[in-house]
Amino acid sequence: EKWHMPTPYGDGNLQTQIAYTFAKEVQDNSDLEITVHSGGSLVKHPEIPRAVKTGQVQMGEMFLGILGNENPIYKHDNIPFLATSFEDAKKLWEAAKPSIAKELDKDGMMLLYTVAWPAQSLYSKDAVNTLSDLKGQKMRAYSPTQSRLADLMNTTPMTIQTPDIPQAFSTGIIQAMITSPSTGVDSQAWDYVNHYTDVKAWIPKNIVVVNKRSFRRLDKATQQIVLDAAKHAEAAGWTQIAARAAKDKATLVENGMMVSDPSSQLVEELKAIGKTMTEEWKAEAPKEIGEILTRYQN
Amino acid sequence: MDMMWISILLAFAMLALLSLGVWVSFTLIAIGGLGLILSENYQVDLLFATSSWGASTAWSLTALPLFIWMGEVLFRTRLSEDLFKGLSPWLGGVPGKLLHVNILSCGIFAAVSGSSAATAATIGRMTLPELRKQGYSDRMAIGTLAGSGTLGLLIPPSIILIVYGVAAEVSIARLFIAGALPGLLLVSLFMGFTMIWGHLHKDELPKTTGHETSWSARIKGLRKLLPVMGLIGFVLGSIYGGITTPTEAAALGVAGALVLAALTGSLSRHSFMDSLLGAVKSSCMIGFILIGAHFLTLAMGFLGIPKALALWISGMSLSPMELILYLTVLFVILGCFLDGISVVVLTVAVILPMVQAANIDLLWFGIFIVLVVEMSQITPPVGFNLFVIQALTGKNILYVAKAALPFFLLIGVAILLISIFPEIVTYLPTTMSQN
Amino acid sequence: MSQLKEKLYLCSGLLSGLCIVIITSLLLAQIVGRLFGFIVPSAEDFAGYALAASTFLGLAYTFREGGHIRVTLLIQRFSPVPRKIQEGAILILSLALLSYLSYACCYMVYESYIYEEVSYGYIPVPLWIPQLPVAIGVIALNLAILDALISVLGGKQPTYSEQEDALSLEEI
Ligand code: NA
Ligand code: NA
Repeated sequence: EKWHMPTPYGDGNLQTQIAYTFAKEVQDNSDLEITVHSGGSLVKHPEIPRAVKTGQVQMGEMFLGILGNENPIYKHDNIPFLATSFEDAKKLWEAAKPSIAKELDKDGMMLLYTVAWPAQSLYSKDAVNTLSDLKGQKMRAYSPTQSRLADLMNTTPMTIQTPDIPQAFSTGIIQAMITSPSTGVDSQAWDYVNHYTDVKAWIPKNIVVVNKRSFRRLDKATQQIVLDAAKHAEAAGWTQIAARAAKDKATLVENGMMVSDPSSQLVEELKAIGKTMTEEWKAEAPKEIGEILTRYQN
Repeated sequence: MDMMWISILLAFAMLALLSLGVWVSFTLIAIGGLGLILSENYQVDLLFATSSWGASTAWSLTALPLFIWMGEVLFRTRLSEDLFKGLSPWLGGVPGKLLHVNILSCGIFAAVSGSSAATAATIGRMTLPELRKQGYSDRMAIGTLAGSGTLGLLIPPSIILIVYGVAAEVSIARLFIAGALPGLLLVSLFMGFTMIWGHLHKDELPKTTGHETSWSARIKGLRKLLPVMGLIGFVLGSIYGGITTPTEAAALGVAGALVLAALTGSLSRHSFMDSLLGAVKSSCMIGFILIGAHFLTLAMGFLGIPKALALWISGMSLSPMELILYLTVLFVILGCFLDGISVVVLTVAVILPMVQAANIDLLWFGIFIVLVVEMSQITPPVGFNLFVIQALTGKNILYVAKAALPFFLLIGVAILLISIFPEIVTYLPTTMSQN
Repeated sequence: MSQLKEKLYLCSGLLSGLCIVIITSLLLAQIVGRLFGFIVPSAEDFAGYALAASTFLGLAYTFREGGHIRVTLLIQRFSPVPRKIQEGAILILSLALLSYLSYACCYMVYESYIYEEVSYGYIPVPLWIPQLPVAIGVIALNLAILDALISVLGGKQPTYSEQEDALSLEEI
């Protein structure tokens, strides 16, 4: 049997490397051959959920947040300052997993594993000690959540596509953005921005899903091999991402960026924003999100 | 079926359909479908719909119809005529004369547009009719345009450099800067060739010696250039002044062209409609071919042909120079049948590791890839600059390809030069680190 | 009847042109918004939808005007009878292909509708709405091919090749 697995990000990303390892483990133990097509080379990112859902490909990887408009529970890992450490992110994922799995199942998909990104932190032209340092500046926002966050931080949200970021900083279209240290390293952020404040706003994840019908067509033994490989991939993801985050932060320092921890005042201010945004998120689907929050907070 | 036989069958079927006069876009879709069926993938309908929707809504392509429209608007003003009148006192004494207008305008416009098709379409719309009117050799007018249109990819901004930068995780800002010197190198190679050609083929240039080359005529000529230069300066300034992103700049270009047309009295309801329908014709043609190319790329991804070829090369343990030579040949062959961006997307995952293993600088390699992709824009049967120019002139793709052949070879010379002197690529980026 | 047909072809071109105007306006609005500090929500998404609509809605107009390019090097050397057979054959082939693509695109719209798919950007847009022009455009192209096939079967020269011949005459 031959399967195709499109993934959205390039080969340098931890997520893609884990996908290769996963595919290899399955192939070494069964007759199932999974070809990983990285970097959107087979199916572009926005089309991956649909391609898996309708069985055009048997499985695929996607950024969980892009499903946020389908159902607000998919946004649980994009809510600022709700889960800011890997332990909390893991706990939040355990809390959200049953609801997510149920929702994916409705669309004919089955959850295999997830790999988190490093925590999203603040890149800025100038040093940020309190929110007032950012007041009136222009900050990149690419989703409604981010835009609302920019509002609450007293900045002006700007929509900039990822490839345009370096030019947008250099030419002054934006002065700040929130993204992971990995993205900063990939795009060599030191070429266009000076300060990195490690606010750890949220920890987003990629998920890997399989088309239910394709999975059922496998024999029982192979199904188990796939599930085992997925379990190993998820475990590897959580351990390796922490190491990757530390390494990427070190790379930022090496290249001369000012990397600092947020001041206690900034932390307080951001936490208050986080509380507001969690409430607003809950209001989108009080029952389902309430359940997730209850499981998470207990 | 064996992958080699599938590849041969697909290439043969494509050539057969094309030579029977089946439209290029339809051919690409049909071959894509055939490829999917041969890879035992029978969901051709779903895959076509998904891939077309993805390809036709791509943000990076939104600028294309706008630039084409801008060209249509400018073509209907006096500006294209003024461009020639303004430049002829400057170029009249140079061997090759006004053929250099093609090269220079493409080089300058490339700094505004990120794609090669948009550059060729916009500039060609303005220059080709005028060059023909003045009696320049058709073949050379078409060749210079086909060749220098590809500068759109190398001189920043550039869609393909963005695609490569994202895939290879190389700073896009650095890639853009790295493209500047090789871009100038290509411009000088093209101009040098045109001068030599002009020297040898005086009979294929207009006989009239009507080009006044005195300094007073030159100064007067500059005044005629003001509106066009003003428009390009305005768009460039808006990008580097932090007002727009390169994609949005296309909209400013259209607005500026419309304002200029209104100021010079050539904007009417009729000419507005005409220009818009002209833009529809070109951009629908290119858009549907891109959709076909994307679908064919998808089939190639499922079949794994480009990947297999790249793996075959990586298995040969070559020296860096041999590797570059083999990759050039591989890209040129793939570039005959797929569009440039598809070639990069399909092979980059296999090729980058071997490039890194050979200690080749990824920044340098990005510029190398762009140069090879530029070559693929002017090779038949699938070459976007050929399509654009066929639409502009009615000349057959093979005629255009023959006219562009010297420029294809000149890009090869540029590849050789940057391989011998990699500093041409790497010098500028090393000067840019802030810290 | 033929006048109505002309109008429909022109309509295809004008709708496509309108979409290009919409893209321009959206991007201009975004630039102005940046200067004055407001956001045009999902401008990139809408520009992308307009781009798809522009490409597909204009297909029929472009086809009739001979805008879709092809290689005529070989077929121009055919004598009249084989040439007629060749045109008829490729039109039948194209009709079959486009009928299949029409079905594929309609099915995509239907599927987006029943799955209630929404865009992932700033404003959640039900995807079947911007996908509808794609299906309509392909069907229109399909009809344009049928129209050309009917005229070839009736012994007439299809309009697209009139345009092609006009262009090649000009160059001689
Ligand atoms: Na360019
Ligand atoms: Na080519």
